[in-house]
Amino acid sequence: MKRRRPAIIGVGRTKFGEHYERGPEKLVEEAGLQALDSAGVKRKDLDACYFSDYFLQITNKIGIEEGFQSELLELNVPMERMRSFSSALLNACHAVQSGKYGIVLVGGVEKMTDRWDKIRDDLMLLEDPWSYYAGCTPEANHELLLRGYIKKYGISGEELEKFNTALAQISVKNHHHAIENEYAQYQRDISVDKVLKERSKACKPLGLYDFAPISDGASALILARPEIAKNCSDTPVRVLGSSSATDYVTFPSREDRTSFVASTIAMKSALKMADIEASNIQIAELYDQSTLLEMISLEDLGFSKKGKAWLDIYNSCKEYQGFYEINGKKLFVNRNGGLKADGNPLGATGGAQIFEVVKQLRGEAGSRQVEMDGDPPRFGCISELEGFGTKAYVHILGRT
Amino acid sequence: MSSEPIERRVSYIGDRLRGSRCTLCGKEYFRGKDYCGKCGRKSFGKMKDIDFFYEKGKLEVCTLIGEPTNKFVKLGPYVYGIVSFQNGKVRVPGRLTDFIPKDGELDLSCFEDREVVPRFRRRYAVTRSDIVPTISLAFTLADDYYPHQEYEIIKPKKEYDTPGIVGYGVYVSKFRIKEGMIERSVPFLDEDAVTAAVEAGKMALIHSGVDHSLIGKVYVGSESNPYAVKPIASKVAQVLKLGMEEKTDGIQSVDAIDTEFACKAATSMFKDAASLVYYPHARTPYTMTVGTDNSQAAPRDELGGELDLYVGYGGSAFIFGMHDVIAELEGWYSCTSDTPDFWRRDREPYPRHGGRFTGEPAYFKHVLNACRKLMEQLNLKSSDVDYFVSHQPNIGFPVRVAQELGFKEDQYMPGLQVAKFGNTYSSSSPIGLAAILDRAKPNERIIIVSYGSGAGSDAYSLLTTSQIKDKRQRQKFTIKHQIKNEHLEYVDYTTYRRLKHGL
Repeated sequence: MKRRRPAIIGVGRTKFGEHYERGPEKLVEEAGLQALDSAGVKRKDLDACYFSDYFLQITNKIGIEEGFQSELLELNVPMERMRSFSSALLNACHAVQSGKYGIVLVGGVEKMTDRWDKIRDDLMLLEDPWSYYAGCTPEANHELLLRGYIKKYGISGEELEKFNTALAQISVKNHHHAIENEYAQYQRDISVDKVLKERSKACKPLGLYDFAPISDGASALILARPEIAKNCSDTPVRVLGSSSATDYVTFPSREDRTSFVASTIAMKSALKMADIEASNIQIAELYDQSTLLEMISLEDLGFSKKGKAWLDIYNSCKEYQGFYEINGKKLFVNRNGGLKADGNPLGATGGAQIFEVVKQLRGEAGSRQVEMDGDPPRFGCISELEGFGTKAYVHILGRT
Repeated sequence: MSSEPIERRVSYIGDRLRGSRCTLCGKEYFRGKDYCGKCGRKSFGKMKDIDFFYEKGKLEVCTLIGEPTNKFVKLGPYVYGIVSFQNGKVRVPGRLTDFIPKDGELDLSCFEDREVVPRFRRRYAVTRSDIVPTISLAFTLADDYYPHQEYEIIKPKKEYDTPGIVGYGVYVSKFRIKEGMIERSVPFLDEDAVTAAVEAGKMALIHSGVDHSLIGKVYVGSESNPYAVKPIASKVAQVLKLGMEEKTDGIQSVDAIDTEFACKAATSMFKDAASLVYYPHARTPYTMTVGTDNSQAAPRDELGGELDLYVGYGGSAFIFGMHDVIAELEGWYSCTSDTPDFWRRDREPYPRHGGRFTGEPAYFKHVLNACRKLMEQLNLKSSDVDYFVSHQPNIGFPVRVAQELGFKEDQYMPGLQVAKFGNTYSSSSPIGLAAILDRAKPNERIIIVSYGSGAGSDAYSLLTTSQIKDKRQRQKFTIKHQIKNEHLEYVDYTTYRRLKHGL
């Protein structure tokens, strides 16, 4: 199977944020064309398409995205629609690896601001209905996980202060990274004080600056069979590992409510596929729907020890050098600004994460390029969640 | 937008917090399950129905919801968290209700690891034409106003010759408004006549120890049913699982009916409830009557706004039967005339009243007549009566009738509760009766006279038995508990109107 590992030969994305004047078709068009152009392939070369969106049917009355895309692309090739970008990519990888398709477009789009006053209710579709009936909000489970985590690991007093600061530092760091990302929703610095102030204003463990925003945007990539990739691109990035796992949708019913089992399982299986260790990963785009989730992801994916990620973050951010230092190793995390600052247009979010890792591995990330001993990183990973840890996807990309 | 089938299913499960237990391994689930996830196929047919309606839970972790989703906006801010039952065997999401956060910092840890009691409430706000969604994933702290009480079914010991009250329960909310001499009960946002009816019925079951499945008929009297068409009684029957339940259809073998006659809608049915259990062919060992109202009144500056000074909120329930009776029904008398002293037209939110005519040709005439006729029938003098209670729209009216009938303060004061709860409409005189039953000794005579505008009165004479003392220990939520309680929360007029208006 190793020989058949598909390659990403082109990536594209729009700026994330509020696209008041642009409909989903304009966003998809921009991201799609960019991906096709950077891969040097034409739309007629596509054997199939995999798309992702969560809410187009609600936000834009587009129930069958495939038909909508068929019209945009003027193509009649097979198309499938998933919820998350990672899910679309995973399925595209399966199809390419199986040998069925040679060149595939993977695209994601979301137009959340088109339902500004109802979008938080729509987001509850990602939770179980009973939580909704009991008064849950899109943010509530993050805070319950946080409370549970603090209790489980007995974090209190000075430690709790450090813990809270560490979470704020995640937000500050991601905002800082986004300054160099021309596509990011928020290209401005914030301070730890500001994050903490918003929390205390709301009497909540997590505040406005801990959560990813509501965004519009699109992203796309071109996936190809390795032998085709060789002809198209000098610097193809291979999908070395691609995996997913699931868990109960009802968060209160899960055995462990201080981590995401699905993430751990998906990561293990992706690492096995890629035949590397977590410690080989140099850059990671983690799903920081909230600052807490970036922290939890570090543990779930095996970078930090359970109950210790906040300390790794705190120590790394005292004098931040652009990466976390965990067990003496550098790990670049969310260099595009993460969901927090880059934006979180659900169906397109994973595409932006992959966009970043591909650019970084290729050494094309410009002013935000990271280096390991003078070279671009060799292995990167992307984790994406659907719902509150209900589904987890991990992709491991590598330079070959 | 609530569509009917999903509302039926969600409330069937959620109102009672129904679940399953695997009889093979003991694993429990919230919501019915045909098989156990752990035991697999061999557990088919081995799952037992359970519910958490009478259970005590523990709030494991919580957070403050400052920006709820759209249907919950009116309820915000509120505390939301994970509640576990049976030492963590089952966990459910839950919202703390009866809670108005104060300004300033909120320490979430002061709620965590505390015991909580599930409460049957409205789920969230819907438009006026929708089905009212309900759920019991609302909780209050067990060491607060509303204590946890176990429901234990007790095998009856003795059959009486005369039917009577077997158990009773009163539910009044923890919020009050105090203006001048009068304190009045105020519903929380998610409460209404339906939720009070269920709470009162629950208390009555707990107090009586009667097997819920032996209740053959439930009557609910109210004038503030949120629906013009759809009974409260069906909800009470389902949530309290009255009558035998045919599980396959989710149907219960119980008759449920709503009655309406202003404030006497519930008391009117006492005699029917008692008669039914006495009728040998009815095969109805027990009946339940409920009076419930979120007493309606126009805002003070509007027409009919005078009522706004007196209205309260609460429910009362009485279980009638022939076994283990605490107060025998020795006689009754009812009278009626078509006197339009108080009315509410269909689609009008607030009632109107006949001003100064509500007393003289209406209240006094009917109450005095009914009481005198009953005493004549039973050959009673006022000195033969230990306690007297009448309908209490204010303090003046019931005191005046008591005095005119020759009753002394120690006879009528114990039942006079309007100054503590306000006029709870259908539960007004029943709450007075409950206050008396809370303290009465065996072999004491109680006369209760209700009054319903429109107009009519029901007078009943009850004689307590020795069992009144035996059952008293099972009544934690007494009238006294609901009056003198350190957890009562007093609200200002603006908050009162907001809470009263509800979701």
